[in-house]
Amino acid sequence: MSFFGFGQTADIEIVFDDADKRKVAEVKTEDGKKEKLLLYYDGETVSGRVNVTLRKPGSKLEHHGIKVELIGQIELFYDRGNHHEFISLVKELARPGDLLQHTSYPFEFANVEKPYEVYSGSNVRLRYLLRATIVRRLTDVIKEVDIAVHTLCSYPDVLNSIKMEVGIEDCLHIEFEYNKSKYHLKDVIVGKIYFLLVRIKIKHMEISIIKRETTGSGPNTFTENETVAKYEIMDGAPVRGESIPIRVFLAGYDLTPTMRDINNKFSVRYFLNLVLMDTEDRRYFKQQEVTLWRKSDKSRLPLHNPHLPQTLQHPTNPSIQARQQSAISEENQNRAVSPASTQNSLPPRSVSPPFPENSETHNGPSEMQQESPVEVTDKLANTHIEVHKEDKPVEKPQAVEKPQLAEKPAVAEKPQIAEKPVLTRPDSTEGSQGDQ
Amino acid sequence: MTNQASPVEEQEKLLDEALNVVKVQAFQMKRCLDKSKLMDALKHASTMLGELRTSLLSPKSYYELYMAITDELRHLELYLLEEFQKGRKVADLYELVQYAGNIVPRLYLLITVGLVYIKTNSNLRRDLLKDLVEMCRGVQHPLRGLFLRNYLLQCTRNVLPDTAEPAHDSEGTVKDAIDFVLMNFAEMNKLWVRMQHQGHSRDKERRERERSELRILVGTNLVRLSQLETAAVEDYTRLVLPSILEQVVSCRDAIAQEYLMECIIQVFPDEFHLASLSAFLKSCAELQPAVNIKNIVIALIERLASFSQRNEGNVNLSVVMEDGQEQSVQLFEVFSDQVAAITQVIHSIMLKDGWEQAVQLFEVFSDQVAAITQDGREQAVQLFEVFSDQVAAITQSRTDMPAEDMLSLQLALLKLAQRCHPEKLSYVDRVLAHTHFICNDIHTNSGKTHLQHNTPAFKELMKILLLPANHYEDILTLIKLKRYSPLIAHLDCSGRSSLAAAIAQRVLDTGTYIDTPQDVEAVLGMLDVLVKDQPDQPAEVDPDDFMEEQGLLARLIHHFKSDSPDQQYLILTTARSALQGGGARRVQHSLPPVLFHAYRLAFTYHQIRDQDEMWEKKCQKIFQFCHQTISMLVKAELAELPLRLYLQGALAISEIGFANHETIAYEFLSQAFSLYEDEISDSKAQLAAITLIIATFEQINCFGAENAEPMRTQCALAASKLLKKPDQSRAVALCAHLFWKGSKDSVEWPLNDANRALDCLKKGARVAQQCMDGAVQAQLLAELLGRYALLRERGNQAVNVPIINAVILKIREELANLEQSEEVEQITKHFHNTLQHLKNRIECPDADSLGYEGLVLS
Repeated sequence: MSFFGFGQTADIEIVFDDADKRKVAEVKTEDGKKEKLLLYYDGETVSGRVNVTLRKPGSKLEHHGIKVELIGQIELFYDRGNHHEFISLVKELARPGDLLQHTSYPFEFANVEKPYEVYSGSNVRLRYLLRATIVRRLTDVIKEVDIAVHTLCSYPDVLNSIKMEVGIEDCLHIEFEYNKSKYHLKDVIVGKIYFLLVRIKIKHMEISIIKRETTGSGPNTFTENETVAKYEIMDGAPVRGESIPIRVFLAGYDLTPTMRDINNKFSVRYFLNLVLMDTEDRRYFKQQEVTLWRKSDKSRLPLHNPHLPQTLQHPTNPSIQARQQSAISEENQNRAVSPASTQNSLPPRSVSPPFPENSETHNGPSEMQQESPVEVTDKLANTHIEVHKEDKPVEKPQAVEKPQLAEKPAVAEKPQIAEKPVLTRPDSTEGSQGDQ
Repeated sequence: MTNQASPVEEQEKLLDEALNVVKVQAFQMKRCLDKSKLMDALKHASTMLGELRTSLLSPKSYYELYMAITDELRHLELYLLEEFQKGRKVADLYELVQYAGNIVPRLYLLITVGLVYIKTNSNLRRDLLKDLVEMCRGVQHPLRGLFLRNYLLQCTRNVLPDTAEPAHDSEGTVKDAIDFVLMNFAEMNKLWVRMQHQGHSRDKERRERERSELRILVGTNLVRLSQLETAAVEDYTRLVLPSILEQVVSCRDAIAQEYLMECIIQVFPDEFHLASLSAFLKSCAELQPAVNIKNIVIALIERLASFSQRNEGNVNLSVVMEDGQEQSVQLFEVFSDQVAAITQVIHSIMLKDGWEQAVQLFEVFSDQVAAITQDGREQAVQLFEVFSDQVAAITQSRTDMPAEDMLSLQLALLKLAQRCHPEKLSYVDRVLAHTHFICNDIHTNSGKTHLQHNTPAFKELMKILLLPANHYEDILTLIKLKRYSPLIAHLDCSGRSSLAAAIAQRVLDTGTYIDTPQDVEAVLGMLDVLVKDQPDQPAEVDPDDFMEEQGLLARLIHHFKSDSPDQQYLILTTARSALQGGGARRVQHSLPPVLFHAYRLAFTYHQIRDQDEMWEKKCQKIFQFCHQTISMLVKAELAELPLRLYLQGALAISEIGFANHETIAYEFLSQAFSLYEDEISDSKAQLAAITLIIATFEQINCFGAENAEPMRTQCALAASKLLKKPDQSRAVALCAHLFWKGSKDSVEWPLNDANRALDCLKKGARVAQQCMDGAVQAQLLAELLGRYALLRERGNQAVNVPIINAVILKIREELANLEQSEEVEQITKHFHNTLQHLKNRIECPDADSLGYEGLVLS
C-alpha cells in the first residue's frame, strides 16, 4: 500500500523514561564523531515509551505487529554483515492489526543485564540499541536508538603496586614502581623510577599509555595498538641513585575500561609503556599492563574537593622511600645494605609483589617476571646484573629484545595523541567543571 | 675572527628567535587572560615555556631567556592570584596544569600555580612545598634543572614558613622550610656538579667557566637558608650545616666545594660559625685535594677574628666591660678547643698529599693563633705542644712525604714557637732537633753528606736556619740553641758560608759583643766554615767572596770583647786556638785582629797596673802569646804581615815597659829583621820593610847599647845591601837616624854617635851621586839635604855648615844641568822649600839647637 508514496506510514519515536534526569555519555560513532547518549548501567531497567505518529492522521495503518527490542551487539568491521548479538530482548507492543491514530506504547526491560560497556574502536564496535519496529508486509518501519552503557567495577582501595626491576645488561638498570596495577579512569598513576645503573646518555623519559585492541580469534586475529597518551616524566640524563617521580592523571585521556574477551570477539587492554630515549634517539622501553576500570562517580564525589589538589600522595612503599633517602650514602656501598622491607624477612631487593601470585593471573608479563624468593636470595649473593641474565628467562627477552631498541617499534610510530594531553581536558560525563 | 665570532652570533640568533616566540606567546596569553579564557592562556603559557626546553643555548643566553619568560609568568601569577582572591577559584587547576605533556613547561606552570594556591590558602603550604620540590626531580638536565629549581626558590622566597610554632599544623614550620631548601640545594648541587662530567674533556675549560657563571644559582639556596629568621643556632648546627656539608663533601667536586664552603662562611652569622666550628673544619679535611683549603680556613678565621674584634670594640664602648672580657675569653677558649681540630684538618690534608697547601695553611693558622693568643698567652702554652706532637706524628708516619715539605712544616712550627713562646727556647730547640733527624734521613736516602745547593730541601733548611738568626737580637741566643750548630752541618759548603756570613753580619749590625771564651768558641764553631778549610769546599773559590767573608770574620773578631782583662785574655787564647787551623789564607785575615786585641789588652794592663800586681807577668804572657801567634803567621809562609806585626809588637812592648821588656822587644825586632833577611826578596818590599824596621827602631827607646848596637849596625848593613842605588841611598840615609835620635824630654839618647850618623848621610850622598840619572841624583840630594838639616837641628854637631853648603852647591849644579820638566820642577820646588826652611831657621834661630851660621843660601 505504500508503493508510490501512497498509503499510510508512520514515524516512530522512542522516549525514555527520566531522559531529562539521566546522565549522558559521549560515545564515538563509527565515523569518529561523538554523540551523547543516555547512560545505563548493568542491571538497570530500560523503560520508556514508543510513540507512533501517523503521517496521515485519519487513515489507518495496517501492521503485523509492533515490537521493541533491546539489542547488544558487536560489530567487527572486517565482517560487516555479521553482527554478533549478545543480547536480544523483545517486547511485543501490539498485536497485528490496524492503527488508526497516534499511539503511545510503554515498554520496560526490567533489570536488564548489560554485561559489556559500549566501545568504539578501530576494528570493532560494541553498541546497545533499542529498536522499535512496526512490522508490515513489505517494509517494516524501524527506529533505532543507541544507548550508552558503562560497566562499573569496584576494587578494594588497597591495591597491589607494580614494582619491577628491569635493565639491559651493563647498560641500564632501573627499578620502577606504579602504585597500583588497576586504575580507575579518573585515577592518578603515581610512581617512581629508580635508576640503579646508567651507562647510556638518556635524553628524556616518558610514559605512554598504549591501548591494544585485539579482534577475532585464531588466524583471523587483528591487533591494533594505539598510543593514547604520551607524558614526559623526565628531562635530561639522570645518574645512578636518582629517583624520578611519576604522576599521571588519567582523567585527561580518552580511555575505556580494560575489556577482556568480550563475548570471545575482542579485547581491549592497556599498557603503561615506560620509554627512555637516549641521545642517539634509541628507545628503551618496558611495557606493563594495567587494568583500567570504571568507578562509580558517586563514591568519588563526596571525597573530592575540586579546589584542593588531591594528588599530593606519593608512593608509600617504604622500601623505595627509604632508598631514596639513603641514596647518597649508599651509593658506594654494597647493595646488600639496602633498607629493610616491611613485608617479610626476605631480602629487601625483592621485586616480588607482596600479594599472592594467583591474584594477578590476567597480568601476564608481570607475573612471569616475578622472582621466587629463592632466586632473590641468590641474587643477593651476586651482583644483580649477571643473575638477571640467567635467572629471568622471561624478563630477559623483554630486556634483551634489543631489536626493539634500535628500530622504533610500531607502537611508537603512531604519535597521534602526542599533542593531545596539553591541558585540554575533554568534557567528562560527570561535568564537574561546570563552573568554568 | 669569524671562527670565533660565529658561535656568539649563533647564540644571539637562537636567543632572538626564542625571545620572539616568547613575546608572541606572552602577548597571546595576556590577551586570553583579559578575555578570561584561562585554558587558552595556559596553553600559550605552556608554549612559551616550551622554549625553555632548548639545549642549544649557552648558560648566559638561557638565563636571558629564563628572565624574559619568568617575567611573563608573573602576569599569569598575578591574574590567578586576583581571581582566587575574588573567590573565583578554578577547579582542579593544580591538576589541570599537570596535563602538559612536556615536563619543563609543566613544572614551571605547576610552580606558578602552586604558589598561587599557597598564597591564597596557607594550609596547603607544607604539602605543596614538599610536592613541588619533589616533582622537580623530573628535570635531570643540569642547566634546565638548575633554572627550574631556581624558579622554585625564587617563587617561594616569601612564602616559606618561618615560624617555630605553626598556627596550623599543615602550614609548616621553619623546619619544613629548612627541609625544603636543603632538598632543593642538594638537587641543584648535584645538577651543578654533574655539568662537569658531561661532554668532551676538551671543553673542560669552557665548562668550568659556565659552571662558575651558574654557581650563584646554587649559592642562593644557602642565602635563603640564612634568611630564615627563626632558624636558631641549634637548627643550624643540627640540621642545616650537617646536610649542607654532607652534600658538599660527597659531591667530590673541587669547584663546588670551594665555592660552597666560601658561601657557608659568608652567608651565615658569626655566632653560628662559632657554634659549629669543629663540624665545619672536619669537613674541610674531607674535601678534594684540589680545593684550596687554605683560603677557606683563612676566610673563616678572619671572619671570626674580626667578629671577636668587633665584639671587643663594642664592649669597650659600652660599659659592660666584664661581659666583653668574658666573651672574648670564651671566644678564645673555643679557639683553643679548635686547635686540635684544625691540626687534625691539616693532618688529613697532608694524608692526601696536599703538602704544600697544608704547610701554607699551617703557617697562616699559626700566625693567626699567635695573633689571637697575644693577650691570652697563658692559655696558649699548650698550643705549641699540640702542634709539635701533631707534626712529629705526621712526619714520622709519612715516609713518602717530600723532604722539603717536611722541612717547611718544621719551618712553620718554628715560626709558631718563636712567635707564641719567645721565651721558650726549648721549643725552638725541639723543632731544630727534629729537623736534624729529618736531615739525617735525607742523607741516608740520598747517600750524600750534605744537602745540595739550591735544592728545595736546601732552601727550606736555609730558611729554618736563618729564621732564628734574624729573629733573636742577640747571637748568644743562637748559641743557647743546642741544636742549631749541628744543623748547619747539613748544608753544603756554599750554604754554610752564606749562612755564616748572614750570622756574622747580623752580629755586626746589632753591635753585640761576645764576652766569654765559651761563647767565642761556640760562635766560631758555628761559623766553622769561615774559620777552617772544609772537606767539601769547592776547589776554586771566588777570591773576592773569600776576602769578603774573611773580612766579616775579622770584623766579628773585634766583637770578642770582655770588660774583664783576664777574661779577654782567655777569649783571645780561645779564639786563636780556634782560628789557628784556618790555613795561610785565613789566618792572615783572622789572626791580626786577635793580635791587635792582645796589644790593646797589654795596654789595658799597663793602665791598671796599680790595681793588678801581676800585670807585668801578664803582659809578658800576652807578648809570648803574641809571639806565638805571629810565628804561626810566619809558619804560614807569610812575611810582610808578621814583620809588621812584630814591629807593632815591639813598639807596644817598648811603650809598656814591663820587666824584661827590652829582651822581648829585641826578640820581636830581631824576628822582624830575620824575616826581612830571609823572606823578603822583592826590592820594593825590601825598601818598605827596612824603612819600617828603621822607623820602629827609631821609635823604640828601651834598648841598651848591647842590644842597640848590633841592631843598628845590621840595619845599616842591610840598607847598604839594597839592590838599587836610589833605594840604597835612601835607606842608608835613613840609618842616620839610628845613630842620632832627637833628644827626648831634653835628655839626649845615650847611644848617639854623631860621626856614624854623618857617615850614613855621606854614604847616602855618595851613593846618590852614583846614580846615572841627573834628576834622580838631584832628588836624592834634595832629600838628603833635608836629612842633613834635620840631624843638625837635632843637635848633631858633626853635621856642620860647610857640609850642608857643599850639598846645596851640588844640588844647584845638578839642577842647572837638568832640562826643564815637570819632575825637575818638583825637585826644584822641594829644594827651594828646604832652603826656605833653612832661611827661616837662620832668621829666627832656635835657642837650643845648633845654628846655621855661614850657610850659603843663594
